[in-house]
Amino acid sequence: MYMLANYLPIVIFIGIALLLGAILLVAGFVLSQKKPNAAKLAPYECGFDAMENARLPFDVRFYLVAILFIIFDLETAFLFPWAVVLRHLSWFGVASMGLFLGLLVLGFIYEWKKGALEWE
Amino acid sequence: MIQQFIFYLFSAMAIATAAMVIISKSPVRAALFLVVTFIASAGLWILLQAEFLGLVLILVYVGAVMTLFLFVVMMLDMDGIELRSGFVQYLPFALIVLSVMLAFIILAVWHTSFGLGHANPSKETAAYNNIALLGSVLYTQYAYPFVLAGALLLLAIIAAISLTFRGTRNAKKQRVEWQVSVRAQDRLYKTSMKNEKRL
Amino acid sequence: MDTIMNLLWIALKILAIVLPLTISVAYLTLAERKVIAYMHSRIGPNRVGFLGLLQPFADVLKLLLKEMVIPSQSNRYLFLAAPVLVLAPALAAWAVIPFSKGLVLANINAGLLYIFMMSSLSVYGVLIAGWASNSKYAMLGALRAAAQTVSYEIAMGFAFVGVLLAAGSMNLQTIVLAQSGNILHWYFLPLLPLFFVYWISGVAETNRHPFDMVEGESEIVAGFHVEYAGAGFALFFLAEYANMILISAVASLLFLGGWLSPFEGIPLLENVFAFVPGLVWFVLKMGFFLFLYIWLRATFPRYRYDQVMRLGWKVLIPITLIWIVVVSFAVKFNIGPWFNQAGV
Repeated sequence: MYMLANYLPIVIFIGIALLLGAILLVAGFVLSQKKPNAAKLAPYECGFDAMENARLPFDVRFYLVAILFIIFDLETAFLFPWAVVLRHLSWFGVASMGLFLGLLVLGFIYEWKKGALEWE
Repeated sequence: MIQQFIFYLFSAMAIATAAMVIISKSPVRAALFLVVTFIASAGLWILLQAEFLGLVLILVYVGAVMTLFLFVVMMLDMDGIELRSGFVQYLPFALIVLSVMLAFIILAVWHTSFGLGHANPSKETAAYNNIALLGSVLYTQYAYPFVLAGALLLLAIIAAISLTFRGTRNAKKQRVEWQVSVRAQDRLYKTSMKNEKRL
Repeated sequence: MDTIMNLLWIALKILAIVLPLTISVAYLTLAERKVIAYMHSRIGPNRVGFLGLLQPFADVLKLLLKEMVIPSQSNRYLFLAAPVLVLAPALAAWAVIPFSKGLVLANINAGLLYIFMMSSLSVYGVLIAGWASNSKYAMLGALRAAAQTVSYEIAMGFAFVGVLLAAGSMNLQTIVLAQSGNILHWYFLPLLPLFFVYWISGVAETNRHPFDMVEGESEIVAGFHVEYAGAGFALFFLAEYANMILISAVASLLFLGGWLSPFEGIPLLENVFAFVPGLVWFVLKMGFFLFLYIWLRATFPRYRYDQVMRLGWKVLIPITLIWIVVVSFAVKFNIGPWFNQAGV
């Protein structure tokens, strides 16, 4: 049993999952009746005509959340192998992770104190 | 045989979608094609038995970085903007960069390392644990670059906040510690009313 | 020939996971309606079939037969692709779930990472659905969903790190086996704060009550899927419930010992219940978490958006960070009774 043999079912599973979704969608398309009219196809806005384009610039806070998420996601990616091997790791390895985590906690405290995590 | 089929499938996917990233007119489409490119390259990495790197590529690049890209591209509504305005103007510069990069790639992977046979690592058994092997060297042997990466991330946090964050504007904040410390008698108390008579 | 048989066999195994899963989803919707009804002193659906047991199938048929509306200002292809992109990760994540000892489709060493990765992909379908609809409510819902999922994913990832520290492996089977011994060895006890954090962020990740700002009816109608009708809506529904079951399954694997019997290690009861297959225990534990989902929905009012973000960033993340440090020292100093095993 090779390592890659375990990944074959995953690839097939992803394929089947996509296929299943597509089949259901097509089934719905084929089975349902179609009587479109202009009012039905208009974007929903409480019965009014849409006022303007829905794709508006929005609060920069959402960007900030996304950026901070990238950084913390990377941090988790670094923590995962460390957590797996911790038992066999020398104290030097523990200390280097301590330094790494310490730096990020510093960043976390900075964003907290700066108020970047506040929503209004 | 299946492995080769999957290799060609992912390679074709990666190349085709990478081309579509450049060709497609809508920035949102381009970003989504880039997502597929990342997923296909992650598949290739897993074929090289680098399962941790493959999965982390999807986790970080697709799950986080491309989400941010999509956020930006979707909200700015750039679909209507003419993107190819400076094409001819920048063409010579692009060609120079392209030829330099091509030269580097050719120098690095010349005939010594071309061909499928070359990129064929020894087949590992199911017990092969990529993550544990990585972990056993990353935090000791490569501790310096690792901590440096941490410092870089700290810099990224500070830069992101100072670039995008404009401070809270007349915000009405919820003070949780006040809410928690409120006692019932602060809010509600009984008074005896003298004038009230039983009807 | 051999390869084709092999591929067919794998496809069959996948169907053996997907079909029970879809049926569970169908009955989970019925269970939800019934349980909430009884919590509200109502009866709930009881007309279709005996005690309403055929209700889910009536719902599915209704949804499939309904007209699919593709809004005139939408991006047609992305609009149609979005529900498929939500459903696919919700299903594909099941590939690495071990249902009992040895009963797993893909026994990969990076199992937990794979699940984490798959759950990070589900945000795409939501974002695409919101954007492609070209409707304000859909857009707002998608934005909220993305920011919320993303914030709670960090807390969830940190909770996973705690489990990895304790188990010393990413293989889900190894994680479960590391909890064997007796019920006190299950990780919900030594990792109690992480267990709570995982569960809360799991509820938030699936955008369920009380974290359903994404589709908060009173604010943004139905959020990112406001423009979807018929089969497209059915797919979102299926994905949401499949994700709920997945979160419950992972919670029972990581913190409640997966397929391990709760009577393990207790002299007499252990033998009495020895005949019960592991799969039954696993399903029972999942059922417990699913009931919790429904219970939460019937009990709690919806959070406000700033409160959601506050909870994610300022409460859950610090808790997990502290507990990661505590657990790593406990592991390093081999503190019993939980962290003195040899590890894997």
